[in-house]
Amino acid sequence: MQGRIIVISSGKGGVGKTTATASIGAALALAGKKVVVVDMDIGLRNLDVVMGLENRIVFNIVDVIRNKCKLQQATIKSRRIDNLYLIPASQSDNKDAITPQDMVRVSKKLRAEFDFILMDCPAGIERGFENAIAAADEAVVVCTPEISAVRDADRVIGLLYAKEITSRLLINRIVPIMVERGDMLSHQDVVDVLSIDLVGLVQADEDVVVSTNTGIPLVMQENSKAGQAFTRIAMRLNGHPDLPIEVPRAPKSLWGRIASKIGFGK
Amino acid sequence: MLLNGFLKKWFLKGNSKEAAKKRLQFALVYDRLEVSDDVLQEMQKEIVEVISRYFVIDTDQLKLDITRDNDLSALIFNTPIISAKTRAPMTS
Repeated sequence: MQGRIIVISSGKGGVGKTTATASIGAALALAGKKVVVVDMDIGLRNLDVVMGLENRIVFNIVDVIRNKCKLQQATIKSRRIDNLYLIPASQSDNKDAITPQDMVRVSKKLRAEFDFILMDCPAGIERGFENAIAAADEAVVVCTPEISAVRDADRVIGLLYAKEITSRLLINRIVPIMVERGDMLSHQDVVDVLSIDLVGLVQADEDVVVSTNTGIPLVMQENSKAGQAFTRIAMRLNGHPDLPIEVPRAPKSLWGRIASKIGFGK
Repeated sequence: MLLNGFLKKWFLKGNSKEAAKKRLQFALVYDRLEVSDDVLQEMQKEIVEVISRYFVIDTDQLKLDITRDNDLSALIFNTPIISAKTRAPMTS
């Protein structure tokens, strides 16, 4: 087995990297792939709580690198989804506890064990970022339709490009009604500015908060718009690159429906 | 009420995203080329000066645009030309 390593990055914090990592990982595992998600945010771990596995941690990625435990001992199995595993970050160390070379070494072992290895990158472009991308084959860059997030995404795409890692863009937290009103950058605006291929569009969805509260994967919540979008992103990564990108739309009011029937509006 | 909502929709249509897009495009150029707005303004002024030596241009319609590709940024300077100037000998 020779697994693919995908780094989920963004530059800016708080745009939904961890949610994206957990959701795409869960969807890939539900599709039958053997998946491990690795929390690379050493010192500020969060992927464990998002996945509902915070009370199972014994060893972490830093322990693996320092040979304090075996890789298998630090790999926690998901309670809800078969084939889904987590390697948590250490909470007591900082980013300098490991080096990019360490990650390349550990990644060799991970590739032999798993179909997909998803690296949840920390915010920023310093050591933590370098560690997370060290062994990556490809990248998913997450941004929201805001100037600050798009600007940081541009910087990260440039840094990944310099390392010959191809990025695809995930635009998160789209509010369709604001886009239609002209008060939010549309996905097309963002793509124009960044000139990069899309991997998917995810709309703002209250279910994300519910999922984080409960630790139940978003992609297992029926009717979650964001969950469905992440499932389609996972499919695009997993052998269906041409699956059409669905653009989030605002639910139409009765008036809106009548208007569009008679040719007004969109 | 229905009419009111309809009117509101038409007249209070937001378009702050156009501002966002423009600012973003310029921010990325400043970031990439590490030039400031002042430098661009200065450059624009000088370009206008040079072109004005040869052409009468409509300075109100000047447009400075920026396009970007993967590893290439381009400044596009657009100006309507009203007429050509008869070339006077230059004294530098």
